[in-house]
Amino acid sequence: MPELETALRQLGAEIDFPAAPDLASSIRGRLERPRSWRRPALIALAIVVVAIGAALAVPPARTAILDWLGLRNVSVVRVDHLPSARPLGRLDLGTELTLVEAKRLAPWMLVPEDAPDHAYISDVVPGGRVTLLWGTPSNVRLLLTETTGRAYIEKVVQGDTGVERVRVGQGGAWFRGSHIVMFQDRDGGFHEGRARLAASTLAWQQGDVTLRLEGDISREKALRIARSTR
Amino acid sequence: MERARRGDEDAYEELVRAHQGIAFRTAYLLAGNAADAEEAAQDGFVKAYRALGRFRAGSPFRPWLLQIVANEARNRRRSSGRRTALALRAAAEDSSGDAAPSPEGVLLAGEDRERLLAAVNGLREEERLVIACRFFLELSEEETAAALDVRPGTVKSRTSRALDHLRETYA
Repeated sequence: MPELETALRQLGAEIDFPAAPDLASSIRGRLERPRSWRRPALIALAIVVVAIGAALAVPPARTAILDWLGLRNVSVVRVDHLPSARPLGRLDLGTELTLVEAKRLAPWMLVPEDAPDHAYISDVVPGGRVTLLWGTPSNVRLLLTETTGRAYIEKVVQGDTGVERVRVGQGGAWFRGSHIVMFQDRDGGFHEGRARLAASTLAWQQGDVTLRLEGDISREKALRIARSTR
Repeated sequence: MERARRGDEDAYEELVRAHQGIAFRTAYLLAGNAADAEEAAQDGFVKAYRALGRFRAGSPFRPWLLQIVANEARNRRRSSGRRTALALRAAAEDSSGDAAPSPEGVLLAGEDRERLLAAVNGLREEERLVIACRFFLELSEEETAAALDVRPGTVKSRTSRALDHLRETYA
């Protein structure tokens, strides 16, 4: 009975579908070039191999792979010399959103008392990554990176990088001086997450969330900000 | 398509714009609400972009894309634990009463429309989805099979069964 099919098609034209959002704009920040993205992953993997190789090659007394209790998604590898990192290109923080939108998409995220100037979300790591930025993208004062769940971070530090355990959340560490941050993406590949602001970093664990605060600030100020996150 | 496969983000954005409407509506049917549908369609497009290297050149893009988006939508619905099916509604009637008649001049009268919609909403979910894909979204059999993750033969038999059931209730 073709009338029924015609009636169904007509009905279809009148179905109240919600308006389709502009997806092309909303995914813009999430696209990675399928070709070129293999290369950084390979370079990053090579850095891990070099770093671990270096860690194994030097006498145990001078090398330590530090497992910070409480920082279960962060491990620290200390080496004599940092492998040279790729020069820092533009910050790839993901898609910029308002704090409210970011909170809606990543309900687990934590925000310090002093609200950030910009918020970004990226799905490059499993469970997603939120980045809060103080200052402007071209002149960053402070950067707070948050990941949750399975996201795994490895820090490769040099002999003269100060690493100190600090009390914040379920445990934290304060890094003074240059280091390389590696993180594993959702497909299991390693990426080099450069110590973007080079200065100092506070990494800590709060519940399921692993946080990393980078910037040219004192240990006390970093701890104050960390303890104000809700 | 070729430019997008080579990693041209602008070319891919054009593809997204061309397909975002159908991708979102397909996700809406399967996820059951607009917020999940939006996320599913977004994630689907991002995954499709990353997987473009595995896409067979020359084969149609739409069924492949809809399969990825529909899968995202189903996962969202499953993880939210929602069981209730989406009830489709017709848009509010034009109250001005002077809407232009369709080219064939055979617009469904309001009452018939509501009755037919109620009959569709009363179908079992698998039959309702196949009707919605084939007639409301006007997907091809191949696209419907991809979106519902079944064989094209199943789409054919399910559609004819669903039409039989509709004839029984909407006669």
